Amino acid sequence: MQLLIEAIGFGIASGAVIALGAVGFSVQFGMSNVLNITYGALMTLGAYVGLFLIDRGVTVWIALAIAGILVGLVSVAFNRGLLAPLMKRGTRAFAIVIVTVSAGVVLQYVIVVFAGPDAKSYGEQSGQTFHLLGMVLTASEVTIILLTSVLMLGLHLLLTRTTLGRAMRATASNRVLAQSCGIATDRVSDIAWMLSGMLCGAAGVALAITTVSFDFSLGAVFLIPMIAAAVLGGIGQPYGAMVGGLVVGIASEVAAAFTNPAYREVVAFGILIVMLLVRPHGLFGAVWATRRLMA
Amino acid sequence: MGDPAADGLGAMGAWEFYLVVLLVYLGTDLLAAWGLNLEFGVTGVANLGYIVTIAAGAYAYVIFTLGSPASAGDFQMYVGGFGLPFPVALAAGVVAGSVVGVLIGITGLKRLRQDYQAIAMLVVSLMAATVVSADTPFLNGNAGLVLLPNFAPLSDQDPEIQRWAYVGIVAVCCVIGYFVLRRFTTGPIGRTLRAVRDDEYAAAAIGKDVVLLRLMVQAAGGALGGLSGALLVGFIGGWSPGAWAYVETLALLTAVIVGGMGNDRGVSVGTFLIAILILQGVQFLNDVPELKALEAQFNRPALTQDLGWIVLGTLTILFIWFRPQGILPERRPKYGEVRG
Repeated sequence: MQLLIEAIGFGIASGAVIALGAVGFSVQFGMSNVLNITYGALMTLGAYVGLFLIDRGVTVWIALAIAGILVGLVSVAFNRGLLAPLMKRGTRAFAIVIVTVSAGVVLQYVIVVFAGPDAKSYGEQSGQTFHLLGMVLTASEVTIILLTSVLMLGLHLLLTRTTLGRAMRATASNRVLAQSCGIATDRVSDIAWMLSGMLCGAAGVALAITTVSFDFSLGAVFLIPMIAAAVLGGIGQPYGAMVGGLVVGIASEVAAAFTNPAYREVVAFGILIVMLLVRPHGLFGAVWATRRLMA
Repeated sequence: MGDPAADGLGAMGAWEFYLVVLLVYLGTDLLAAWGLNLEFGVTGVANLGYIVTIAAGAYAYVIFTLGSPASAGDFQMYVGGFGLPFPVALAAGVVAGSVVGVLIGITGLKRLRQDYQAIAMLVVSLMAATVVSADTPFLNGNAGLVLLPNFAPLSDQDPEIQRWAYVGIVAVCCVIGYFVLRRFTTGPIGRTLRAVRDDEYAAAAIGKDVVLLRLMVQAAGGALGGLSGALLVGFIGGWSPGAWAYVETLALLTAVIVGGMGNDRGVSVGTFLIAILILQGVQFLNDVPELKALEAQFNRPALTQDLGWIVLGTLTILFIWFRPQGILPERRPKYGEVRG
């Protein structure tokens, strides 16, 4: 029983990080309708930017913010420079996926060339731990859980309560119509890519904090659990992705605790495949068209 | 490569041996690229898990060739261990590749969007690698299986004859593979498959069973992959999860895209360019002293390999951007003009 509770604790912590990444992925997918596999490598980039800054004496949380902004900019440039032009020419969906897979591999190995293939670490974080209902969480895990919650709430308010949010949802659901209503769809889409890139970079740094030791495959490893969470919660729905992240995180950690730790990822893989085959529109979505909705 | 005698090359010079290696790689890569082209280029199934069929063929070959684990003092763990002759093991590889191909294809039964399908297959690839790495009793986990007799069918011959004979076996397999492939990519079946790729609803509307056709293609493509894996492992003598990481599919995919999706000859050219000229060419960067110095300075022993992946990924993107039809585009059959 104690083992189960502890596993759930780990699951909540990793679920928060997964949710952070999943929401970013979801926003991007909802806006552009592109399954962007490069997202994984961008997370890795975020983690290494964080490492670069922390090695130079920047505190972890400031490094997280800077990495987020930087990855956000890269993500906008990636969309503007590569994906959007390809979409405009009518390149087919599977070709775009292959482009994003290739770009991810290129970015990942560029990182290897510069930073080396060996495992890295941000070093020891503050040793303080919190005990809650039998679960043990480190201070940085608690911070990440809080940070994720605040970001999710903020994103939800942005999407539902502001003009920008309405413009984003309009652009996501019907670009041409949105344009003819006077929405600067290109700019709105840039903002969405920026937002999702920031979440992606932040998730990278958060991953590096929680996994303690990481290497260039960090993003590639965690991308699938994040896609699983995003699909589970219904693509494009921040709350859904949050719940999805928790489900994937807890299921993975419980499986790891009771079977082989190497099967942690296999659970997420399994969830994703089953969801794609059985309910590709997510647990909560009633119709396939929910993909079009941003919130 | 150093002194040939010290490397156990027998009468064979180092360059001659390298030529043999290249030819075997080319042959096995051709089989694999043809299989992937049948699935991806001709039928439109972006199988990002294709490497698993190759792995299945290789593992099947290994456990059919090796004796029981106990016979080698339980040095490595694996299921099976039948100690059967080369042709049987090769056939087992083909069957295993085919079965795994169909299993991967089942994710496409449900009409997922093409990009979702690609992701589902990528996930199958990752999942298979994770399970095989973690489950040591199954196929010796991460360490992989070794101690296969190289060039198994001819172990009593002179090494030089063995190696060239193996090249011959690979060549024969390629010829057979190509004929089987052409049965699928040309004629009525080929036209039907291309119809499924270009408009699956129209194909279904004229009574084609799209799901069945896709599964058939997965079986055929998987069989080619399995054959490729079995032949490869029979040559190199060992197999481990590191040999079939998901990115390996990308190398084959690059060959298909650069050569020309849906064009068997184009894909052959692409395979030669990618697998031999680029991936092998990158190895020669090791001979550039400046690069060696850089590797030593920054402690990056695998720098050339990393550069290889960067080149491949960039090439794929450049081709999809500038020349999506590839070097040798698919030839569109001309039908009579429809006048309206």
